[in-house]
Amino acid sequence: MIKKPLTQQRAWQIVLNRLRKKSLWILHYCTGCGAIELPPTKTSRWDMERFGLIPMATPRQADILLVTGYLAKKSLKRVILSYEQMQSPKWVVGLGSCTIDGGMYWDSYSTIKKLDEYIPVDLYIAGCMPQPEAIIAGFGELIDRIEKGVACGWKDYYRNWRWYKINQQKVLGEFDTKVDIAREAEFYRLKNGSKEYQRKN
Amino acid sequence: MVLLRAGIYILAAFFTGLFLMGLGRKITARLQRRYGPPLWQPLYDIAKLFSKRTNISHGLMMDFSVIILLGGTLLSLFFLPNPYFKDFLASADIIVLLYLLLLPSLGMALGVGEVANPNGSIGISRALIMLLGYDFTLLAVVVGLSLAYGGNTYFVDIVSQQGGSFIHWNLFRFPLFALAAFFATLGMLKLEPFEVMVAPHEIATGPMVEFGGRYLGMLFLQYSFALFIEIGIFVNLFLGGGGIILFTLKVISVFVVGVLVNNIFACFRTEQAVKFFWKYPLVLSLAGIIMVMAGK
Repeated sequence: MIKKPLTQQRAWQIVLNRLRKKSLWILHYCTGCGAIELPPTKTSRWDMERFGLIPMATPRQADILLVTGYLAKKSLKRVILSYEQMQSPKWVVGLGSCTIDGGMYWDSYSTIKKLDEYIPVDLYIAGCMPQPEAIIAGFGELIDRIEKGVACGWKDYYRNWRWYKINQQKVLGEFDTKVDIAREAEFYRLKNGSKEYQRKN
Repeated sequence: MVLLRAGIYILAAFFTGLFLMGLGRKITARLQRRYGPPLWQPLYDIAKLFSKRTNISHGLMMDFSVIILLGGTLLSLFFLPNPYFKDFLASADIIVLLYLLLLPSLGMALGVGEVANPNGSIGISRALIMLLGYDFTLLAVVVGLSLAYGGNTYFVDIVSQQGGSFIHWNLFRFPLFALAAFFATLGMLKLEPFEVMVAPHEIATGPMVEFGGRYLGMLFLQYSFALFIEIGIFVNLFLGGGGIILFTLKVISVFVVGVLVNNIFACFRTEQAVKFFWKYPLVLSLAGIIMVMAGK
């Protein structure tokens, strides 16, 4: 691996990433079944506030969108709305097998199978259900990635928003969140590179 | 030189407030048998919030509201008797300070008015209703104390007359006022029995619902100053102020008692909270005034 030269901008980013990893506020999206594993993670036995992880009430204030379990097509809409209201840098964590490949709902007509096709997921925590130890370990991994600056799902969303929008519209039909993604992508100076994805599809 | 000392005072107040916020979270965690976050977690939170790259504004008034909020709080910082910066205190009237304490709520209301989120409107209306509760109580306490000192409302005089031994503290001379003012302080700090305005489980942090990124960072800054000021008022009125170390220790101890109360009690509803203020602390302070009048 080639080491990049340490410019002033990059040094500043390293400092910011170190600060960001210490304070992560989670927006729980728990319409699936995973939510029952979260209270023990928060309370005295596993205590996730040690790492600066606390639950937050609104998308505007949150850094992590935690999606637990399966998503019905109706609730996918709300997830996308919440995700687009969050302020960058932001991360998505998929909890449970259902977010990876549909899990036990793999042949259901009303749920989506891969969360990654609709919003960029930074980290999956596999299991049905993942226990609090697994959740803590997963967040530890996410914290490491944030420090290294490799958890960049939100940039991926702005780079390939056309691909994500096509996927969303395949499931939801005509669906507009009224968030101007193209303008926001321009604000972050992220060029649209959806060609690669179109080939894959 | 004055500017330098003012800067040192602002920094000291900021870090005291931050320390209190961290300490509160740590005590809460320990009471729930958790380890809790690091003591300087609020500092990381503020740094994180200011490093957010999107900061969604809903209009010019929302931008101004955080400035009014922080400006009003910084202004009231200089009218509080404190061991760091005493240049403006000769003319610091406690009534002026009570007026200035209203500014943050009004600034918040201006900002939330532009945000079309119903949770925000509910939150700010609750905050203004709560103001009716604790502000009347605090005003009655201040009137009573100034009557006891011959109609003098200069804050420094009230502090200086408690000098010497701790027996001279107003806490022991006027225990009724102290109790009423302690409840008012809890209401001002939005601690638990009176936490109707924020209520994250109910109205999604109320007025702050649409404030994220740097806006929320400004609100965190404001809260750290507000902690220092609002506890500082109680310390000055009833515990006799003091030097840098003594003042800080008194502020911390009052806050610790507040946090313990916060963890024991559940939350009132808005009308219950106002009813409570009008029933007990206000009546206590009125009884105190009658006792002061009778003693003359």
